Amino acid sequence: MKFMIFSDASDLSKQIMTYLRGKGDFFLYTTEDRPELLSYGATKVTVLKGDQTPESLSSFLSSEFKSNGFDSIFIASSVIGRDVASYLAQSLGLKAVPEIYDVSINGSNVKTKRYGLGGKVVLEEESDAKIFTFIPGISDDNPSGGNSPSESKEIQKGRVTITAVKPKKGREVDLEKASIIVSVGRGLGKKEGIQQIEPFVKMVKGELAGSRPVCLDYKWLSEDRQVGYSGRKVKPKIYIALGISGQIQHIAGMRDSKIVIAVNKDKSAPIFQEADYGIVGDLYQVVPKIMSYL
Amino acid sequence: MPYNIIVLIKQIPDLELIKVNPSTGEPILDGVPYRFENLSKNAVETAVRIKEKNGGKITAILFGNDKATQVMKEAYAMGVDEGFIITGYQESNPIITARVLSEKIKQIPHDMVILGNQSADSMTGLLPGMVSSLINEPLLSSAVSLEVNNRTAKISSGTEREVLEMEAQMPVVISVAQEINEPRFPPVMQIIAAGRKKINIESSQIKSESMTKLVSRKAPKSDRKRIVFEDVDKGAQEVAKVIKEVAR
Repeated sequence: MKFMIFSDASDLSKQIMTYLRGKGDFFLYTTEDRPELLSYGATKVTVLKGDQTPESLSSFLSSEFKSNGFDSIFIASSVIGRDVASYLAQSLGLKAVPEIYDVSINGSNVKTKRYGLGGKVVLEEESDAKIFTFIPGISDDNPSGGNSPSESKEIQKGRVTITAVKPKKGREVDLEKASIIVSVGRGLGKKEGIQQIEPFVKMVKGELAGSRPVCLDYKWLSEDRQVGYSGRKVKPKIYIALGISGQIQHIAGMRDSKIVIAVNKDKSAPIFQEADYGIVGDLYQVVPKIMSYL
Repeated sequence: MPYNIIVLIKQIPDLELIKVNPSTGEPILDGVPYRFENLSKNAVETAVRIKEKNGGKITAILFGNDKATQVMKEAYAMGVDEGFIITGYQESNPIITARVLSEKIKQIPHDMVILGNQSADSMTGLLPGMVSSLINEPLLSSAVSLEVNNRTAKISSGTEREVLEMEAQMPVVISVAQEINEPRFPPVMQIIAAGRKKINIESSQIKSESMTKLVSRKAPKSDRKRIVFEDVDKGAQEVAKVIKEVAR
Protein backbone atom coordinates (compact mmCIF):
# COMPACT_ATOMS: atom_id res chain seq x y z
CA MET A 1 0.00 0.00 0.00
CA LYS A 2 1.11 3.52 -0.77
CA PHE A 3 -0.34 6.30 1.35
CA MET A 4 -0.45 10.05 0.86
CA ILE A 5 -0.56 12.14 4.04
CA PHE A 6 -1.45 15.81 4.15
CA SER A 7 -1.07 17.74 7.38
CA ASP A 8 -0.59 21.34 8.42
CA ALA A 9 -0.06 20.41 12.06
CA SER A 10 3.19 18.74 13.09
CA ASP A 11 1.73 16.92 16.12
CA LEU A 12 -0.83 15.24 13.87
CA SER A 13 1.77 14.56 11.16
CA LYS A 14 3.79 12.66 13.74
CA GLN A 15 0.80 10.71 15.06
CA ILE A 16 -0.38 9.70 11.58
CA MET A 17 3.12 8.63 10.53
CA THR A 18 3.54 6.59 13.71
CA TYR A 19 0.14 5.02 13.10
CA LEU A 20 0.89 4.08 9.48
CA ARG A 21 4.36 2.70 10.10
CA GLY A 22 4.46 -0.95 9.07
CA LYS A 23 1.20 -0.70 7.14
CA GLY A 24 2.74 0.51 3.88
CA ASP A 25 4.85 3.26 2.34
CA PHE A 26 3.79 6.76 3.24
CA PHE A 27 4.60 10.15 1.74
CA LEU A 28 4.08 13.24 3.88
CA TYR A 29 2.94 16.51 2.33
CA THR A 30 3.09 19.28 4.89
CA THR A 31 2.97 23.05 5.10
CA GLU A 32 5.49 22.96 7.95
CA ASP A 33 9.19 22.98 7.31
CA ARG A 34 10.39 21.09 10.38
CA PRO A 35 13.43 18.82 10.40
CA GLU A 36 11.98 16.53 13.09
CA LEU A 37 9.29 15.37 10.65
CA LEU A 38 12.04 13.58 8.71
CA SER A 39 12.61 11.00 11.42
CA TYR A 40 9.24 9.19 11.30
CA GLY A 41 9.87 6.82 8.42
CA ALA A 42 8.21 8.67 5.54
CA THR A 43 9.41 7.58 2.10
CA LYS A 44 9.53 11.27 1.24
CA VAL A 45 8.57 14.54 2.91
CA THR A 46 7.33 17.33 0.65
CA VAL A 47 7.14 20.80 2.13
CA LEU A 48 4.46 22.91 0.49
CA LYS A 49 5.41 26.56 0.22
CA GLY A 50 3.63 29.48 -1.40
CA ASP A 51 -0.16 29.69 -1.35
CA GLN A 52 -1.64 28.00 1.72
CA THR A 53 -5.34 28.17 0.84
CA PRO A 54 -7.19 24.84 0.74
CA GLU A 55 -8.23 25.23 -2.88
CA SER A 56 -4.66 25.81 -4.11
CA LEU A 57 -3.18 23.12 -1.86
CA SER A 58 -5.69 20.54 -3.02
CA SER A 59 -5.25 21.26 -6.69
CA PHE A 60 -1.53 20.47 -6.24
CA LEU A 61 -2.26 17.39 -4.10
CA SER A 62 -4.80 16.15 -6.61
CA SER A 63 -2.23 16.03 -9.40
CA GLU A 64 0.35 14.43 -7.05
CA PHE A 65 -2.20 11.76 -6.17
CA LYS A 66 -2.80 10.95 -9.83
CA SER A 67 0.84 10.92 -10.89
CA ASN A 68 2.13 8.87 -7.95
CA GLY A 69 -0.49 6.13 -7.86
CA PHE A 70 -1.36 6.45 -4.17
CA ASP A 71 -3.90 4.04 -2.71
CA SER A 72 -5.44 6.38 -0.16
CA ILE A 73 -5.13 9.82 1.39
CA PHE A 74 -4.80 10.49 5.12
CA ILE A 75 -5.45 14.05 6.16
CA ALA A 76 -4.94 15.66 9.56
CA SER A 77 -8.25 17.05 10.72
CA SER A 78 -7.65 20.77 11.03
CA VAL A 79 -9.40 23.84 9.70
CA ILE A 80 -7.36 23.63 6.49
CA GLY A 81 -7.20 19.82 6.40
CA ARG A 82 -10.97 19.36 6.37
CA ASP A 83 -11.34 21.74 3.44
CA VAL A 84 -8.50 20.05 1.57
CA ALA A 85 -10.23 16.68 2.10
CA SER A 86 -13.51 17.94 0.68
CA TYR A 87 -11.87 19.44 -2.41
CA LEU A 88 -9.92 16.23 -3.05
CA ALA A 89 -13.05 14.10 -2.64
CA GLN A 90 -14.80 16.21 -5.27
CA SER A 91 -11.94 16.59 -7.71
CA LEU A 92 -10.83 12.96 -7.56
CA GLY A 93 -14.37 11.57 -7.27
CA LEU A 94 -13.38 9.52 -4.20
CA LYS A 95 -15.38 8.76 -1.09
CA ALA A 96 -14.26 10.38 2.12
CA VAL A 97 -14.86 9.28 5.71
CA PRO A 98 -14.19 12.22 8.01
CA GLU A 99 -12.97 12.58 11.59
CA ILE A 100 -11.92 8.98 12.13
CA TYR A 101 -9.75 7.72 14.98
CA ASP A 102 -9.26 4.16 13.81
CA VAL A 103 -8.92 2.50 10.42
CA SER A 104 -8.08 -0.90 9.01
CA ILE A 105 -7.69 -1.35 5.29
CA ASN A 106 -8.18 -4.69 3.62
CA GLY A 107 -7.94 -4.34 -0.15
CA SER A 108 -10.75 -2.02 -1.17
CA ASN A 109 -12.70 -2.65 2.03
CA VAL A 110 -12.03 -0.16 4.79
CA LYS A 111 -13.23 -0.37 8.37
CA THR A 112 -13.31 2.93 10.22
CA LYS A 113 -14.38 4.28 13.58
CA ARG A 114 -15.57 7.80 14.30
CA TYR A 115 -17.93 9.59 16.65
CA GLY A 116 -21.50 10.41 15.69
CA LEU A 117 -24.34 12.46 17.19
CA GLY A 118 -21.96 15.02 18.62
CA GLY A 119 -19.79 12.37 20.28
CA LYS A 120 -22.58 10.39 21.88
CA VAL A 121 -22.02 7.25 19.82
CA VAL A 122 -19.22 5.48 17.99
CA LEU A 123 -19.92 4.71 14.35
CA GLU A 124 -18.20 1.58 13.12
CA GLU A 125 -18.46 1.60 9.37
CA GLU A 126 -17.32 -0.22 6.27
CA SER A 127 -16.77 1.48 2.95
CA ASP A 128 -14.59 1.72 -0.11
CA ALA A 129 -13.50 5.23 0.87
CA LYS A 130 -10.02 6.44 -0.06
CA ILE A 131 -9.87 9.75 1.78
CA PHE A 132 -9.86 10.05 5.58
CA THR A 133 -9.50 12.92 8.00
CA PHE A 134 -7.92 11.93 11.31
CA ILE A 135 -8.78 13.57 14.62
CA PRO A 136 -5.94 14.24 17.10
CA GLY A 137 -4.95 11.46 19.45
CA ILE A 138 -5.06 8.48 17.06
CA SER A 139 -1.67 7.27 18.12
CA ASP A 140 1.30 8.08 20.29
CA ASP A 141 4.11 9.94 18.67
CA ASN A 142 7.20 7.76 18.25
CA PRO A 143 10.03 8.72 15.90
CA SER A 144 11.56 5.78 14.06
CA GLY A 145 14.90 7.45 13.57
CA GLY A 146 16.35 7.56 10.09
CA ASN A 147 16.21 10.48 7.77
CA SER A 148 13.52 10.80 5.09
CA PRO A 149 14.50 12.56 1.88
CA SER A 150 12.74 15.89 1.52
CA GLU A 151 11.93 18.45 -1.12
CA SER A 152 9.90 21.62 -1.27
CA LYS A 153 7.29 22.66 -3.79
CA GLU A 154 5.83 26.06 -4.56
CA ILE A 155 2.03 26.17 -4.58
CA GLN A 156 0.45 28.44 -7.19
CA LYS A 157 -1.88 31.19 -6.07
CA GLY A 158 -5.62 30.63 -6.45
CA ARG A 159 -8.75 32.74 -6.21
CA VAL A 160 -8.39 33.53 -2.51
CA THR A 161 -5.67 35.99 -1.48
CA ILE A 162 -4.07 35.73 1.93
CA THR A 163 -3.27 39.30 2.97
CA ALA A 164 -1.81 38.72 6.42
CA VAL A 165 -0.70 35.88 8.67
CA LYS A 166 -0.70 36.50 12.41
CA PRO A 167 0.61 33.77 14.65
CA LYS A 168 -1.73 32.91 17.49
CA LYS A 169 -0.30 33.19 20.94
CA GLY A 170 1.94 30.18 21.44
CA ARG A 171 0.54 27.22 23.25
CA GLU A 172 1.03 27.57 26.96
CA VAL A 173 0.56 23.94 27.84
CA ASP A 174 0.87 20.46 26.53
CA LEU A 175 -2.30 19.01 28.06
CA GLU A 176 -1.84 15.74 26.19
CA LYS A 177 1.22 15.04 28.31
CA ALA A 178 -0.18 16.05 31.71
CA SER A 179 -0.66 13.25 34.20
CA ILE A 180 -3.21 15.16 36.30
CA ILE A 181 -5.63 17.68 34.79
CA VAL A 182 -7.89 19.95 36.80
CA SER A 183 -10.64 21.15 34.49
CA VAL A 184 -13.16 23.86 35.25
CA GLY A 185 -16.59 24.47 33.77
CA ARG A 186 -19.40 26.98 33.85
CA GLY A 187 -19.94 26.10 37.51
CA LEU A 188 -16.86 28.18 38.32
CA GLY A 189 -19.22 31.16 38.02
CA LYS A 190 -16.61 33.91 37.62
CA LYS A 191 -13.23 34.57 36.10
CA GLU A 192 -11.68 35.25 39.53
CA GLY A 193 -12.54 31.66 40.41
CA ILE A 194 -9.48 30.58 38.42
CA GLN A 195 -7.19 32.16 41.01
CA GLN A 196 -9.00 30.30 43.76
CA ILE A 197 -8.48 26.98 41.99
CA GLU A 198 -4.81 27.53 41.12
CA PRO A 199 -3.38 26.54 44.53
CA PHE A 200 -5.16 23.20 44.19
CA VAL A 201 -3.76 22.68 40.69
CA LYS A 202 -0.30 23.42 42.03
CA MET A 203 -0.73 21.11 45.00
CA VAL A 204 -1.61 18.09 42.83
CA LYS A 205 1.08 19.09 40.30
CA GLY A 206 -1.57 19.24 37.61
CA GLU A 207 -2.39 21.34 34.60
CA LEU A 208 -5.38 23.63 34.38
CA ALA A 209 -7.95 23.09 31.63
CA GLY A 210 -11.52 24.11 30.91
CA SER A 211 -14.73 23.33 29.08
CA ARG A 212 -15.77 25.01 25.85
CA PRO A 213 -17.87 27.79 27.46
CA VAL A 214 -15.03 28.66 29.87
CA CYS A 215 -12.39 28.86 27.12
CA LEU A 216 -14.31 30.07 24.06
CA ASP A 217 -17.42 31.91 25.28
CA TYR A 218 -16.26 33.53 28.53
CA LYS A 219 -12.53 33.41 27.72
CA TRP A 220 -11.62 32.77 31.37
CA LEU A 221 -8.90 30.45 30.07
CA SER A 222 -7.00 30.46 26.80
CA GLU A 223 -8.28 28.46 23.85
CA ASP A 224 -5.40 25.98 24.04
CA ARG A 225 -6.69 24.78 27.41
CA GLN A 226 -10.08 23.72 26.06
CA VAL A 227 -10.82 20.03 26.48
CA GLY A 228 -13.55 18.64 24.27
CA TYR A 229 -14.41 17.26 20.89
CA SER A 230 -13.53 20.55 19.27
CA GLY A 231 -10.56 21.15 21.57
CA ARG A 232 -7.84 18.98 23.04
CA LYS A 233 -8.32 15.27 23.56
CA VAL A 234 -6.61 14.22 26.75
CA LYS A 235 -5.97 11.02 28.67
CA PRO A 236 -4.33 11.88 31.98
CA LYS A 237 -4.01 9.51 34.92
CA ILE A 238 -6.53 11.65 36.80
CA TYR A 239 -9.02 14.08 35.30
CA ILE A 240 -10.68 16.30 37.89
CA ALA A 241 -13.81 18.01 36.55
CA LEU A 242 -14.94 20.96 38.66
CA GLY A 243 -18.34 22.50 37.90
CA ILE A 244 -18.54 20.75 34.54
CA SER A 245 -21.99 19.43 33.67
CA GLY A 246 -20.65 16.79 31.30
CA GLN A 247 -22.12 17.68 27.94
CA ILE A 248 -21.20 15.19 25.26
CA GLN A 249 -18.95 17.74 23.53
CA HIS A 250 -16.76 17.73 26.66
CA ILE A 251 -16.87 14.00 27.38
CA ALA A 252 -15.53 13.29 23.87
CA GLY A 253 -12.31 15.09 24.86
CA MET A 254 -11.63 13.36 28.20
CA ARG A 255 -13.25 9.96 27.82
CA ASP A 256 -9.92 8.12 27.75
CA SER A 257 -8.75 9.47 31.11
CA LYS A 258 -7.71 6.76 33.51
CA ILE A 259 -9.55 8.00 36.61
CA VAL A 260 -12.23 10.69 36.51
CA ILE A 261 -13.19 12.73 39.57
CA ALA A 262 -16.16 15.08 39.34
CA VAL A 263 -17.42 17.83 41.62
CA ASN A 264 -20.78 19.36 40.83
CA LYS A 265 -23.64 21.01 42.72
CA ASP A 266 -26.23 19.23 40.63
CA LYS A 267 -26.67 15.63 41.66
CA SER A 268 -28.20 14.76 38.28
CA ALA A 269 -25.36 16.28 36.20
CA PRO A 270 -24.36 13.82 33.44
CA ILE A 271 -20.68 14.12 34.44
CA PHE A 272 -21.36 11.76 37.36
CA GLN A 273 -22.17 9.00 34.84
CA GLU A 274 -18.68 9.47 33.39
CA ALA A 275 -16.87 9.68 36.72
CA ASP A 276 -15.23 7.13 39.00
CA TYR A 277 -15.58 9.37 42.03
CA GLY A 278 -18.13 12.14 42.34
CA ILE A 279 -18.78 14.66 45.06
CA VAL A 280 -22.09 16.53 45.10
CA GLY A 281 -21.36 20.02 46.37
CA ASP A 282 -20.14 23.54 45.74
CA LEU A 283 -16.66 23.38 44.26
CA TYR A 284 -15.55 26.35 46.37
CA GLN A 285 -16.26 24.30 49.48
CA VAL A 286 -15.23 20.90 48.17
CA VAL A 287 -11.82 21.88 46.78
CA PRO A 288 -10.41 23.32 50.06
CA LYS A 289 -11.74 20.23 51.81
CA ILE A 290 -9.86 17.92 49.44
CA MET A 291 -6.75 20.07 49.90
CA SER A 292 -7.00 19.67 53.65
CA TYR A 293 -6.67 15.90 53.25
CA LEU A 294 -3.77 16.00 50.80
CA MET B 1 -24.19 48.13 -1.86
CA PRO B 2 -26.97 45.58 -1.29
CA TYR B 3 -26.03 41.90 -1.38
CA ASN B 4 -27.96 38.76 -2.14
CA ILE B 5 -26.98 36.20 0.45
CA ILE B 6 -27.77 32.50 0.67
CA VAL B 7 -27.45 30.82 4.05
CA LEU B 8 -27.31 27.05 4.35
CA ILE B 9 -28.93 25.86 7.55
CA LYS B 10 -29.50 22.56 9.22
CA GLN B 11 -31.80 20.98 11.76
CA ILE B 12 -30.34 18.40 14.15
CA PRO B 13 -31.75 16.16 16.88
CA ASP B 14 -31.42 17.78 20.30
CA LEU B 15 -28.20 15.98 21.29
CA GLU B 16 -28.54 16.49 25.03
CA LEU B 17 -31.95 14.80 24.99
CA ILE B 18 -30.77 11.61 23.28
CA LYS B 19 -30.80 8.71 25.72
CA VAL B 20 -28.93 5.47 25.27
CA ASN B 21 -30.65 2.10 25.60
CA PRO B 22 -28.76 0.60 28.55
CA SER B 23 -28.98 -3.00 27.31
CA THR B 24 -27.99 -2.46 23.67
CA GLY B 25 -25.92 0.73 23.96
CA GLU B 26 -27.78 2.15 20.98
CA PRO B 27 -29.15 5.71 20.95
CA ILE B 28 -32.90 6.20 21.26
CA LEU B 29 -33.84 8.75 18.61
CA ASP B 30 -37.62 8.24 18.59
CA GLY B 31 -39.39 11.28 19.96
CA VAL B 32 -36.22 13.37 20.24
CA PRO B 33 -37.12 16.89 19.08
CA TYR B 34 -35.19 18.67 16.35
CA ARG B 35 -33.55 22.02 16.85
CA PHE B 36 -31.64 24.70 14.95
CA GLU B 37 -28.02 23.55 14.54
CA ASN B 38 -25.60 25.81 16.46
CA LEU B 39 -23.35 27.06 13.67
CA SER B 40 -26.29 27.47 11.29
CA LYS B 41 -27.50 30.16 13.69
CA ASN B 42 -24.09 31.86 13.52
CA ALA B 43 -24.36 31.72 9.72
CA VAL B 44 -27.81 33.36 9.76
CA GLU B 45 -26.59 36.00 12.21
CA THR B 46 -23.65 36.78 9.93
CA ALA B 47 -25.97 37.24 6.95
CA VAL B 48 -28.45 39.39 8.89
CA ARG B 49 -25.71 41.73 10.08
CA ILE B 50 -24.53 42.25 6.49
CA LYS B 51 -28.10 42.94 5.37
CA GLU B 52 -28.68 45.41 8.18
CA LYS B 53 -25.63 47.38 7.12
CA ASN B 54 -25.80 47.09 3.35
CA GLY B 55 -29.34 46.04 2.42
CA GLY B 56 -30.15 43.09 0.19
CA LYS B 57 -31.97 39.80 0.53
CA ILE B 58 -31.30 36.64 2.52
CA THR B 59 -32.46 33.25 1.26
CA ALA B 60 -32.10 30.21 3.50
CA ILE B 61 -31.87 26.67 2.17
CA LEU B 62 -32.32 23.64 4.41
CA PHE B 63 -31.95 20.03 3.30
CA GLY B 64 -34.07 18.00 5.68
CA ASN B 65 -37.62 16.83 6.03
CA ASP B 66 -41.01 18.46 6.50
CA LYS B 67 -40.40 18.67 10.26
CA ALA B 68 -37.94 21.45 9.51
CA THR B 69 -40.52 24.23 9.28
CA GLN B 70 -39.93 25.21 12.91
CA VAL B 71 -36.24 25.83 12.27
CA MET B 72 -37.07 27.83 9.13
CA LYS B 73 -39.52 29.96 11.13
CA GLU B 74 -36.77 30.71 13.63
CA ALA B 75 -34.53 31.71 10.74
CA TYR B 76 -37.27 34.02 9.44
CA ALA B 77 -37.61 35.57 12.88
CA MET B 78 -33.87 36.27 12.91
CA GLY B 79 -34.11 38.13 9.59
CA VAL B 80 -34.13 35.63 6.72
CA ASP B 81 -36.41 36.83 3.87
CA GLU B 82 -37.20 33.64 1.99
CA GLY B 83 -36.73 29.99 2.85
CA PHE B 84 -36.55 26.74 0.93
CA ILE B 85 -36.81 23.35 2.58
CA ILE B 86 -35.61 20.57 0.32
CA THR B 87 -37.06 17.31 1.56
CA GLY B 88 -35.55 13.86 1.07
CA TYR B 89 -32.77 13.92 3.66
CA GLN B 90 -32.04 10.37 4.80
CA GLU B 91 -28.75 10.37 6.66
CA SER B 92 -25.49 12.25 7.01
CA ASN B 93 -23.64 12.04 3.71
CA PRO B 94 -21.89 15.30 2.85
CA ILE B 95 -21.51 14.36 -0.83
CA ILE B 96 -25.28 14.05 -1.29
CA THR B 97 -26.07 17.08 0.89
CA ALA B 98 -23.57 19.19 -1.05
CA ARG B 99 -25.10 18.11 -4.37
CA VAL B 100 -28.66 18.81 -3.25
CA LEU B 101 -27.78 22.24 -1.84
CA SER B 102 -25.61 23.19 -4.84
CA GLU B 103 -28.42 22.38 -7.29
CA LYS B 104 -30.65 24.84 -5.45
CA ILE B 105 -27.91 27.47 -5.00
CA LYS B 106 -27.35 27.53 -8.77
CA GLN B 107 -30.99 28.57 -9.28
CA ILE B 108 -30.73 31.61 -6.99
CA PRO B 109 -28.75 34.72 -7.92
CA HIS B 110 -26.32 35.45 -5.10
CA ASP B 111 -23.16 37.23 -4.02
CA MET B 112 -22.40 35.08 -0.99
CA VAL B 113 -23.20 31.61 0.34
CA ILE B 114 -22.73 31.43 4.10
CA LEU B 115 -22.70 28.24 6.21
CA GLY B 116 -21.22 26.80 9.41
CA ASN B 117 -17.79 25.19 9.16
CA GLN B 118 -18.57 21.97 11.07
CA SER B 119 -22.04 20.97 12.28
CA ALA B 120 -22.65 20.04 15.89
CA ASP B 121 -24.06 16.55 15.25
CA SER B 122 -22.28 14.82 12.36
CA MET B 123 -19.20 17.08 12.52
CA THR B 124 -17.83 16.03 9.14
CA GLY B 125 -16.52 19.51 8.26
CA LEU B 126 -16.65 18.54 4.58
CA LEU B 127 -19.64 20.53 3.37
CA PRO B 128 -18.09 23.99 2.78
CA GLY B 129 -15.33 22.73 0.48
CA MET B 130 -17.69 20.43 -1.39
CA VAL B 131 -20.21 23.21 -2.03
CA SER B 132 -17.41 25.58 -3.10
CA SER B 133 -16.12 22.94 -5.47
CA LEU B 134 -19.56 22.08 -6.93
CA ILE B 135 -20.69 25.65 -7.57
CA ASN B 136 -17.15 26.66 -8.54
CA GLU B 137 -16.88 29.67 -6.23
CA PRO B 138 -13.90 30.36 -3.96
CA LEU B 139 -14.13 29.45 -0.27
CA LEU B 140 -13.26 31.73 2.61
CA SER B 141 -13.04 29.20 5.37
CA SER B 142 -13.70 29.32 9.12
CA ALA B 143 -14.33 33.03 9.43
CA VAL B 144 -14.12 34.56 12.89
CA SER B 145 -14.79 37.99 11.39
CA LEU B 146 -16.14 39.20 8.06
CA GLU B 147 -16.16 42.50 6.22
CA VAL B 148 -17.69 43.13 2.83
CA ASN B 149 -16.85 46.06 0.65
CA ASN B 150 -17.48 46.67 -3.02
CA ARG B 151 -18.03 42.98 -3.85
CA THR B 152 -14.92 41.86 -2.00
CA ALA B 153 -15.32 39.67 1.08
CA LYS B 154 -12.55 39.78 3.62
CA ILE B 155 -12.31 37.44 6.61
CA SER B 156 -10.07 36.54 9.49
CA SER B 157 -9.77 32.79 9.59
CA GLY B 158 -8.82 31.11 12.83
CA THR B 159 -6.73 28.04 12.09
CA GLU B 160 -5.13 26.05 14.90
CA ARG B 161 -1.93 28.09 15.01
CA GLU B 162 -2.51 31.26 13.06
CA VAL B 163 -5.05 33.87 12.20
CA LEU B 164 -5.10 34.23 8.42
CA GLU B 165 -6.56 37.33 6.85
CA MET B 166 -7.85 36.55 3.41
CA GLU B 167 -10.11 37.97 0.76
CA ALA B 168 -11.85 37.00 -2.45
CA GLN B 169 -14.12 38.53 -5.05
CA MET B 170 -17.81 37.66 -4.95
CA PRO B 171 -19.54 35.35 -5.60
CA VAL B 172 -17.92 33.53 -2.73
CA VAL B 173 -18.63 30.78 -0.20
CA ILE B 174 -17.97 31.70 3.43
CA SER B 175 -17.88 29.15 6.24
CA VAL B 176 -18.12 30.57 9.75
CA ALA B 177 -16.76 29.46 13.11
CA GLN B 178 -18.64 29.85 16.37
CA GLU B 179 -16.52 32.79 17.49
CA ILE B 180 -17.77 35.03 14.68
CA ASN B 181 -20.80 36.31 16.59
CA GLU B 182 -23.47 35.73 19.22
CA PRO B 183 -26.71 34.80 17.42
CA ARG B 184 -29.65 37.02 18.39
CA PHE B 185 -32.83 36.00 20.17
CA PRO B 186 -35.52 37.53 17.98
CA PRO B 187 -38.26 39.61 19.68
CA VAL B 188 -41.68 38.03 20.18
CA MET B 189 -43.33 40.16 17.48
CA GLN B 190 -40.87 38.90 14.90
CA ILE B 191 -41.47 35.29 15.93
CA ILE B 192 -45.24 35.75 15.55
CA ALA B 193 -44.81 37.40 12.15
CA ALA B 194 -42.44 34.64 11.06
CA GLY B 195 -45.07 32.01 11.81
CA ARG B 196 -47.32 33.43 9.11
CA LYS B 197 -44.69 33.65 6.42
CA LYS B 198 -44.67 31.20 3.51
CA ILE B 199 -42.05 28.46 3.47
CA ASN B 200 -41.21 26.90 0.10
CA ILE B 201 -41.02 23.13 0.27
CA GLU B 202 -39.51 21.18 -2.60
CA SER B 203 -38.41 17.61 -2.84
CA SER B 204 -34.91 16.58 -3.76
CA GLN B 205 -34.39 15.09 -7.21
CA ILE B 206 -31.07 13.58 -6.19
CA LYS B 207 -31.14 9.99 -5.04
CA SER B 208 -29.93 9.48 -1.49
CA GLU B 209 -27.14 6.98 -1.00
CA SER B 210 -25.12 5.93 2.02
CA MET B 211 -21.54 7.05 2.42
CA THR B 212 -20.67 3.88 4.31
CA LYS B 213 -22.21 0.66 5.51
CA LEU B 214 -23.01 1.08 9.19
CA VAL B 215 -21.73 -1.88 11.19
CA SER B 216 -22.52 -0.56 14.63
CA ARG B 217 -23.69 2.65 16.28
CA LYS B 218 -23.36 2.41 20.02
CA ALA B 219 -22.43 4.61 22.93
CA PRO B 220 -18.80 4.02 23.88
CA LYS B 221 -18.63 1.66 26.83
CA SER B 222 -18.08 3.55 30.01
CA ASP B 223 -16.95 1.35 32.86
CA ARG B 224 -16.51 4.12 35.37
CA LYS B 225 -17.01 3.25 39.03
CA ARG B 226 -19.63 5.98 39.51
CA ILE B 227 -19.11 6.25 43.28
CA VAL B 228 -20.91 9.46 44.18
CA PHE B 229 -20.60 11.07 47.62
CA GLU B 230 -23.23 13.44 48.92
CA ASP B 231 -21.27 13.77 52.14
CA VAL B 232 -18.63 16.31 51.10
CA ASP B 233 -16.23 15.48 53.90
CA LYS B 234 -16.27 11.77 53.22
CA GLY B 235 -15.97 12.36 49.47
CA ALA B 236 -13.05 14.75 49.90
CA GLN B 237 -11.22 12.18 52.04
CA GLU B 238 -11.70 9.44 49.48
CA VAL B 239 -10.76 11.65 46.53
CA ALA B 240 -7.62 12.88 48.33
CA LYS B 241 -6.62 9.25 48.84
CA VAL B 242 -6.99 8.53 45.10
CA ILE B 243 -4.98 11.62 44.15
CA LYS B 244 -2.21 10.76 46.63
CA GLU B 245 -1.89 7.25 45.22
CA VAL B 246 -1.36 8.52 41.67
CA ALA B 247 0.77 11.54 42.58
CA ARG B 248 3.10 9.41 44.64
